[in-house]
Amino acid sequence: MDAITPYDLRPWVGQYGKHIRAELPTPTHANLPAMARAAAQRFAAQTAFTTVMPNGMYGSLSYGQVDTMSDHFARYLRTVLKLEAGDRVAIQMPNCLSYPVVLLGVLKAGCVAVNTNPMYTANEMAHQFKDSGAKAVVMVDLFADKLQEALPRTDVKHVVITRVPEFFPPVVGGIVYAVMKYWNQQIPAHGLTAATLPDALKQGAAAGGDVQAWSAALTHDSLALLQYTGGTTGVAKGAMLTHGNLLWNLAQMRAMCASHIDDGREVVLTALPLYHIFAFTVNFLCMFEAGARNILVPSPRPIQNLQRAIENYKITWLTGVNTLYNALLAEEWFTAFPPKHLKAAGGGGAAMHHAVVERFEQVTGAPLVEGYGLTESSPVVCFQPLNGQRTRDSIGIPAPMTDVRLVNDIGEPVPLGQPGELIVRGPQVMHGYWQRPEATAEVIKDGWLYTGDVAVMDEHGTFKIVDRKKDMILVSGFNVYPNEIEDALTRHDGVLEAAVVGVPDAKSGEAVRAFVVRRDENLSAEVLMTHCRTLLTGYKLPARIEFRDELPKSAVGKILRRDLRTEVLVAQNKNEG
Amino acid sequence: MLSDTETKLLGVMMMVIMLGMGASLTFKDFAIALRKPLGIFVGLLCQYGIMPLLAFLLAKALALPPAYAIGLILMGCMPGGTTSNIFTYFSKGTLSLSILMTMSSTLVAILMVPLTLAFYSSGIEGQWQIPRENVIQVLVLLLVPTVIGIALRKWNANVGAVIEMIGGLLGVLVILFLVGSWVPRNWQLLLATGLPVYAGSIGLGLAGFSLGYLLSRALKQDERRARTIALETGIQNGPLAVLIVLLSFSGTQQQEVLLIPVLYSLFIVLSSSAVTVWFRRITQREELARDTAKIGALARA
Repeated sequence: MDAITPYDLRPWVGQYGKHIRAELPTPTHANLPAMARAAAQRFAAQTAFTTVMPNGMYGSLSYGQVDTMSDHFARYLRTVLKLEAGDRVAIQMPNCLSYPVVLLGVLKAGCVAVNTNPMYTANEMAHQFKDSGAKAVVMVDLFADKLQEALPRTDVKHVVITRVPEFFPPVVGGIVYAVMKYWNQQIPAHGLTAATLPDALKQGAAAGGDVQAWSAALTHDSLALLQYTGGTTGVAKGAMLTHGNLLWNLAQMRAMCASHIDDGREVVLTALPLYHIFAFTVNFLCMFEAGARNILVPSPRPIQNLQRAIENYKITWLTGVNTLYNALLAEEWFTAFPPKHLKAAGGGGAAMHHAVVERFEQVTGAPLVEGYGLTESSPVVCFQPLNGQRTRDSIGIPAPMTDVRLVNDIGEPVPLGQPGELIVRGPQVMHGYWQRPEATAEVIKDGWLYTGDVAVMDEHGTFKIVDRKKDMILVSGFNVYPNEIEDALTRHDGVLEAAVVGVPDAKSGEAVRAFVVRRDENLSAEVLMTHCRTLLTGYKLPARIEFRDELPKSAVGKILRRDLRTEVLVAQNKNEG
Repeated sequence: MLSDTETKLLGVMMMVIMLGMGASLTFKDFAIALRKPLGIFVGLLCQYGIMPLLAFLLAKALALPPAYAIGLILMGCMPGGTTSNIFTYFSKGTLSLSILMTMSSTLVAILMVPLTLAFYSSGIEGQWQIPRENVIQVLVLLLVPTVIGIALRKWNANVGAVIEMIGGLLGVLVILFLVGSWVPRNWQLLLATGLPVYAGSIGLGLAGFSLGYLLSRALKQDERRARTIALETGIQNGPLAVLIVLLSFSGTQQQEVLLIPVLYSLFIVLSSSAVTVWFRRITQREELARDTAKIGALARA
């Protein structure tokens, strides 16, 4: 790798224009608590978070309240529970007012947050808590019974329970809670010895302790977050994200969006879960620093749950994944009354389909920019620029201070325009996987993070993801990328969503299998095949189209092709056996 | 018969109920519903097409004397009751449709109730006629809190949602209050009342459920929506009819006309509860079947 490659010249910097700074100074705040405190002082009286229930009932916390309450929670962890700096505290809850209080409390205490999906099974919880060595868990009451089941297999000593309508006005919170408990029967009984969050805050306030001192010890290299990833491929690994990683990524995102973020005036809708890195960094960290009001929706499923949130607040920013935007566009209340104040929307997590992007922009009049990132990179690597030329179906350009290269199987950069594995180097790249040096060595080589995604770059430095390296289908020696086939399928009006996987085939090695959710019940496989023939060459055509009521999805709504493939493999094995 | 205080109390409670109903919807909900007017059209057709005719035919078939006939016809001409929303919620129906139907039938009530009432009661002797001004006066009076409710919802979602809930619960309480204050004082009357009156009071609701379901299925509404429309059609605004009767008649005349609206209100709670349990089972079975189909697909894989 001696010669200068097309990537070393950072051709994308030309696209930054006057709105994006190419060189960013090292973030001034030494750690996330310092950032949060500065924001809380600047915007003290402004509303920081509002949780909106499906019927429109809501509760809010101001920047000042979040700051004070998270101080109390830090005191509870250090003074009452006697946790030490660096101890892991798992946080397991849907989007609700408790989240920012607990998360900032954990960081202010100098502890490490283990961001955990509350819908995990007892087994998954046990693994994640054991692996991270979490000493305390703050959990939503909705799944406390599973925690009880998992607890004996972990080192967890302390449990704090919170509820979805925590910190709501008493009458409203009481009604929401009563409906959840007695009518929906969503809240299981449990035998855990646990403090409630309000109680923990009270104890912390009474116990005291020098919060400033605990966080003063934290530097950019201090661990802030263990964000588990890869749970469905095998064993979930904890990506170690430091205060520096997250502060840098925050600064990078702020630089990319500078033209569209007006400090202290934004209202961002957070429908994606904060336990996922995308919403965590973009919606929570960035928007907190920017003094935005964060509208938290506990669950975006069914999608109608977003209706009152969108109607009742002047949403200026929205983040989501393809499936969420697709679902929104299928709702009449959204298309008839799109958010008027929307300035921009961001998409990521999985490839956005351009039919969805076009329709969304046409309906709302705001740009929907697609980004690309990974848990391992805090997560943002690339984003389409909000100003200037945007290339459809691209992931845009690398964030400032980020290097991206495309390499072949032996790690050599591929020529311009050729597909290669995308590798990343930048201040947002994790320090490795928690206690897994081998796994770390597999993905971080010479300071470059190997993403496993295949991409191409054009001469302006715009990247397009071709597909996941391992999702590529090899049909009679031809490479077929599922994204392209899915895009062709969803261009048919009768198709709501589609997933394409490769399945073993006696003749062609692998064959293309399509799974389709119809918008129009009368759509037949024949009609859809005819449609595909107009867009795809022969070897790319699905060998079979299966209609489904829904597709398997991850917590954030990414379609899980892997599950579909496994399903087919199991079926084939059975037939053979 | 109800005392003056009770009549006033009933009026106040009705206002709170209507406030709650108003608070359950936003202007946008309406605007969206109007984009696909078929749903509202089906609802209004059931409400002002089927129900008054049904009441009229029942009164004829059962050969009810004028006092009871006017009570039954008045009941049939009423807009949808707000309790239908609660029953729809419990029966896992389409809540938004139910709310919308109640609201739209209430809003057009000012026009439709006097019209249908005059039409179907034209054959009844003058002394039993309900003065049109009374009907309009009550309806206008109730529109005010409805509109205030909508505004409150827009002003503050928490206040709106709480009022919606209070209004909904009060809807059930009012019926219990009516029954509780009326039945003990009139048990002798109840014993003396003939079968046809009971048949009319109970039959109006039951036939309303059935016809509402059939008509909406005929107009290509899916089963869940059809069940929602069925409940909505059968459940009339009983307390509203009681209020109109109280304002229009007095003495024994009032007592006689009041009989069917009160009996209807009593029995509709019972029959709706039964239907709700039944519908809930059907919905759950459908949901289960859908889930099993999915799990089955996985198990087969």
